Amino acid sequence: MRRVSKAPRRFTRTEARSARAASGFLLPFLALFLLCFIAPIAYALYESLLKVERTGPLGLGGETKQVWAGLSNYAHALEDDRFTAGFGRVLLFGAVQIPLMIAFATALALLLDAASARWVGFFRTAFFLPYGVPGVIASILWGFLYVPGISPLVEMADSMGWDVDFLGRGAVLWSIANIVTWQFTGYNMLVLIAQLKAVPGELYEAARIDGANAWQVARHIKLPLIRPALVLTTVFSLIGTLQLFAEPKVLKPLSNSIDSGYTPNLAAYNEAFTSNNQHIAAAEAVLLALVACVLSFGFLRLVGRRGKDGDNG
Amino acid sequence: MSDTARNRNTWMTGTPRRAVLGGAAAAAAGFALAGCGSDDDGGGEPKDRKKGEKITLTFWSWVPGIDKPVALWNSKNPEVRVKVEKVSAVDGAQYAKMHAAIKAGNPPDLGQIEYPVVPSFLVDNGLLDLTKYGVAEHKDMFIGWQWQQSAFGKAVYAVPQASGPMGLFIRQDLFDKWGIEPPTTWDEYEAAATAIRKRGAWIETFSATNGNRFAGLAWQAGARWFGTEGDTWTVSIDDEPTRKVADYWYDLARRKLIKTIPDRQNAWYKDVQTGSIASWLGASWGDALLVGNAPKTAGKWRVVPMPQWKKGDASYANWGGSTTAVFAKTKYPKDALAFAIWLNTDPESIKLLIENGYGTPGAKQGYTTSQLDVHKDFFGGQAYSKVFDEASKGVDTSWKWGPATDTLYQRLGDAFTAAIGDGSDFRSVLKKVQGETIADLKEKGLKVKAG
Repeated sequence: MRRVSKAPRRFTRTEARSARAASGFLLPFLALFLLCFIAPIAYALYESLLKVERTGPLGLGGETKQVWAGLSNYAHALEDDRFTAGFGRVLLFGAVQIPLMIAFATALALLLDAASARWVGFFRTAFFLPYGVPGVIASILWGFLYVPGISPLVEMADSMGWDVDFLGRGAVLWSIANIVTWQFTGYNMLVLIAQLKAVPGELYEAARIDGANAWQVARHIKLPLIRPALVLTTVFSLIGTLQLFAEPKVLKPLSNSIDSGYTPNLAAYNEAFTSNNQHIAAAEAVLLALVACVLSFGFLRLVGRRGKDGDNG
Repeated sequence: MSDTARNRNTWMTGTPRRAVLGGAAAAAAGFALAGCGSDDDGGGEPKDRKKGEKITLTFWSWVPGIDKPVALWNSKNPEVRVKVEKVSAVDGAQYAKMHAAIKAGNPPDLGQIEYPVVPSFLVDNGLLDLTKYGVAEHKDMFIGWQWQQSAFGKAVYAVPQASGPMGLFIRQDLFDKWGIEPPTTWDEYEAAATAIRKRGAWIETFSATNGNRFAGLAWQAGARWFGTEGDTWTVSIDDEPTRKVADYWYDLARRKLIKTIPDRQNAWYKDVQTGSIASWLGASWGDALLVGNAPKTAGKWRVVPMPQWKKGDASYANWGGSTTAVFAKTKYPKDALAFAIWLNTDPESIKLLIENGYGTPGAKQGYTTSQLDVHKDFFGGQAYSKVFDEASKGVDTSWKWGPATDTLYQRLGDAFTAAIGDGSDFRSVLKKVQGETIADLKEKGLKVKAG
């Protein structure tokens, strides 16, 4: 790391010394960053470019060699309609679930922000609690509420003459969406509240003097000001959606509608650990990361541009 | 839920959604744990134990109560201590762990591996050919077809432990109440299914994800999914006998004479407890499962032979069953083999294994069939193991498993899931899986053709 100075002039001695000191402080971070972040990614990339070659009778007990595969693993992954269908599925999921969840989280945040001081702490904690439940546990909990014969919900619907199947082909994706919404709405709400707390009180005073009602304050002051937090929570949710794994993995044995490539992450996992093809799995993981990257930055650019057209957001 | 999945899960979804590349990093970390894929296979020759030297062998297994016979071995063989490490058998987690250990170059000495999965470890060069260490002299102690399951060419890679001959578990009380005879042929089975449906119950569920049971049904009908010609694998999943089986079950499913929920899951257990499902096509290890999960139905169950395609035939199949395999990296192959043989042939060891419910022994002697009637009371006093014993004799022994069975089960599961979902017939499943399996084996760098 070198300090890049804007002006074309030479460092003074003190500046050079402080730059050295700064890089000294940066080293531990850099070392960890390289070891824990860059190295695994580089290794996944490397693995995705190899394949196994086997010789010997029937490939049993012969030689196995790792040879250069070029992009053939990527081709294999993209030709696998299970894998691509999984992508389509999580994108559909995201298009429906993310706006709903963010809208819900925003509504809760505004309500709690506007509420009088009583019980606010309690409700904030209550909404946030599901986030403390690990995804696997949450899926097991909800699984019990979805499985016919055990679920009180299904039983109630039955007694009213409705035939509901939460784990059926059409419904199971939305049953998963429900679990994810339950888990993350509170978390996103908390991020939004944190930003609302940072809004200076003078703005509200000024609005009141101008005769704005609570609705107008929310619409014209709060919402524009928590825009960065909204963007942040949306990007996090987008990435999380692409990485859906625990929920389908846990519900798979309970449902006859989830296949082994239901989400891209599940496909990569099964490729690595069921089929023992780590090279294809690595390629699938890299593809997943690329798509997440493109979508996230695409979204950021989109809202960034819009922000500049409007106010100075 | 497997441990691997759980750990990776905390990486992926249990944390705030942090980093764009988190998925790749986590996946890569998964591989990083699996070591750097060293390619040498073993290197140094294993050495013999010096006289009086004390060694410890590690053994990965999930058989309930396996520690009891192992403790007995340890008390008798102080020089060769065996240390059991329990592995999870949920969703193939144990094999993921074994494959990863082989890649990392630190597998255990011994491991429990099911018959269908043995070849996938050979493709990895993970198992030791035991012929060098005199395994052949024990051949006659084991049931022939089980021995053949892990014999490829001249090599033998594992010692048979137990099998799962198939049979039909029925709720005799309900069959009696409804005046239905236990079916002896598949035609009668269909008639029984119709009659039971009229009573508002179901005869069975066809679980999409149950590739191993479907394989058993095809096996019974005379299918041979895998074979070898010279150095080439042959795949014939889409053959006539399998088509017959697929058509049969598709017909039952289409006419809604059977359920299509996953079996051995909560909803199914509930159905079994309430009599909503009145029979189960299971295997000899299924007794413990019913006893454990439907205790209130005690005394009402019986076991009858699997229905036949032709009246009077005695063609049966196998579902499940395990071997004790020795991993290629072991330093003490002779001792490992000695333990594997002892574990699966010594009468005292077999007695302990039977008591804990491990299936039908792979050994020919050292026990009596009546010893296997552990849950006699649950079956109204029936000597039910006789039925499985008979079935065991009627298993066609030329059936071979291919080198990627886990993947095959997954393919079958996915294709059946899709077919049941959109109502397409089961023949389409066979066609699809046949093509996919050939592609999968090619992908593994093997020579393969349609059989």
